[in-house]
Amino acid sequence: MNHQDADLDLVPMIDCIFLLLLFFMLCGRITVDQRTEQITVPPTKTAAKFKDPQGWGREIVNVFGSTQHGEPPRNSIRVGTKEFKSQGVNDYTGYKGLRNILDQIYDKAEKYDDPKKTGMRLPKVIIEIRADGDTEYRVVQEIQQVLTDTLDLETMQPKKGLDPKTARAFVNIDFTTRKPEDK
Amino acid sequence: MAEAADEKLGEGKLDLVPMIDCIMLLLLFFILTTKFTSEEKTITSILPTDKGQAAAPSKPVEPPQMINICIYPAGMTKGFQPSEYFRQLNEMRAGIAVIPKAWIKVGNADPIEMDGGLLQKAKQGNQLIQQVEQVHQYLDQALAKFEKAGDRKGQDPVVIHSFSGMSWKYALVSYDAVRAYEAKISGRKATGNPSDFDEAREVDFAPPRIRDYSAKELGEELFEIIHMK
Repeated sequence: MNHQDADLDLVPMIDCIFLLLLFFMLCGRITVDQRTEQITVPPTKTAAKFKDPQGWGREIVNVFGSTQHGEPPRNSIRVGTKEFKSQGVNDYTGYKGLRNILDQIYDKAEKYDDPKKTGMRLPKVIIEIRADGDTEYRVVQEIQQVLTDTLDLETMQPKKGLDPKTARAFVNIDFTTRKPEDK
Repeated sequence: MAEAADEKLGEGKLDLVPMIDCIMLLLLFFILTTKFTSEEKTITSILPTDKGQAAAPSKPVEPPQMINICIYPAGMTKGFQPSEYFRQLNEMRAGIAVIPKAWIKVGNADPIEMDGGLLQKAKQGNQLIQQVEQVHQYLDQALAKFEKAGDRKGQDPVVIHSFSGMSWKYALVSYDAVRAYEAKISGRKATGNPSDFDEAREVDFAPPRIRDYSAKELGEELFEIIHMK
């Protein structure tokens, strides 16, 4: 056979490549959202995909924590591209970093009066806590305390004499979860 | 090369090589940047603004009109001193990353066991579904015993107390079971809107009891949760 006549039929290959391309384009999710951490969230039956109410914002707080083996408490908190790590009993870097971000979000957010008539102005922002299932209960709870602005982050003790007029509390929380039957 | 392409064009043949190059690059991009994960969902909650999030007292006063769901390491029974619970905890955690199983109980009732391994891994199929269902059934029966006449807001508040060192997943699965029970009784499905909680029963997670992770604190926290009514 003459070498110049040895034309390969590329059409079947192009067909296959197009099919593969279509598969990845339709089935995959490009990792551009805030859910970048490889976190295994706990399963729950009542989990649902909710639509945020009109005019409300959403922020995702990714959380890892580890206080096992009697080691000092550690946690890793990631909001957007910002990540904070705490290590050691008295290291509250993660919580302080989170609070700084929350303060910025609070300033920008639209607010409403607390229906419980505490005098607080609450932001129209839902904070989604996306915690790994094996994060310690303590870490998730302390994050909730940071959200409600009830912790003194220097001492990690509850704030004394919290003034509702100056409190910057986030109370509307979503916990990220998955359906038990999800594959 | 260009001459060969012109020649083929003259013969009525298209040069497919540049197109294949582009498609290959696109394919490579999608293969590398996509991930296949099940879509995450959420379960809503509202944090209290009218009672703060103070650390729980070391000897909590438990008003009788409160339903306590207690979560602690599996195998720990009543009747020991805090120091003994701390010793048991250390023994349990030797060489492992997380406490593998939890017991969950409502007040004084007998506990049921939750397997952390099943809850943590994806693709557990029926075993996971059964595990979650078991917790729902247990809490359904327990909460039904405390049912009062009146609306949901007037029902006794539920407080979930988990040992600080337990994995978070156990508390969330319990919270889910209480919310599912409430949805069943009230006939109202969650919409994700903050107003969902206006008429709902209060369900809270107890604040952590410990701050410095000392042996004394750990033992005392376990003692309180295990003996809680």
